[in-house]
Amino acid sequence: MAVTRERFEQGLTYDGYKAQMTRNLDRFEENERTLELAADDVQFFKSLPQTVHVLAITEDWCGDAIANLPILGGLAQASDKLNVRVFLRDQNLDLIDQYLKDGQHRSIPVFAFFDEDFRPIGHWIERPASITAMQSEAMAELYATAPELAGVVPGTSPGQLPEAARNRMMQFFGSFRAQHRAEADAEVVRELRELVAAGLSK
Amino acid sequence: METLAAHKPVKVTIVYCASCGYEPYTLDLVSALMKTFLYDLAAIEIIPWQDGAFDVVVNGDMIHSMYRDGGFPANETIIAAVRERLAQ
Repeated sequence: MAVTRERFEQGLTYDGYKAQMTRNLDRFEENERTLELAADDVQFFKSLPQTVHVLAITEDWCGDAIANLPILGGLAQASDKLNVRVFLRDQNLDLIDQYLKDGQHRSIPVFAFFDEDFRPIGHWIERPASITAMQSEAMAELYATAPELAGVVPGTSPGQLPEAARNRMMQFFGSFRAQHRAEADAEVVRELRELVAAGLSK
Repeated sequence: METLAAHKPVKVTIVYCASCGYEPYTLDLVSALMKTFLYDLAAIEIIPWQDGAFDVVVNGDMIHSMYRDGGFPANETIIAAVRERLAQ
């Protein structure tokens, strides 16, 4: 089912979404405050030949959404060319089911882009593939080097791991985001930029 | 009055993605286990995780994995796995 202008306009504004968040607003706003956008990227969005409508699907409990929605918000604010409306995933299954990751997962955030006539330009889901790959590589190295994970088969459920191994992995997850935040943000912007450029040139 | 169980202890471990909104599924399963088994479980362990995980392990055996099996398990599936181990 196509997303119509009427359906799009039922969404929350970016600020309206923030106002109804019940958790993680502090993390969300910290990501807004510390976001660094390259001048070249801002200029790209500022120079778009038309206003682009962006349908964002999210929830306030989602870590990837807490990390990546502020990037979209920052680009919209800096460029004045992105018209963002936000929808809560679990209250808008008609929307999320149009953008399933790998055809089956209701992964968020989703950013779906439309031109001024509401023709789809493209959509983006969850996080950059390159960051997922980078995390997998770092995890493989952790398995190979961390004493707590010696003898553990990669992919073993946390429920079958000794507590020390689990704690080491959680420590890794926490530090990975902190260490790679700038790269991850830049990758999000690069992918969004490529998606919009390719979509509008069709 | 219930009596303390005499059979081999059975432990259930639930791993859930803490940033995926899976709390209701986790708590529903915990509630079902508590109501069904009372004193018969040695422990119910809940482990917050990430990346979309929802695993249920009973006495070290993986009964359900969202990655492997897809979706959430029926509570009855987990209850049956516990019963099987209690009977051993």
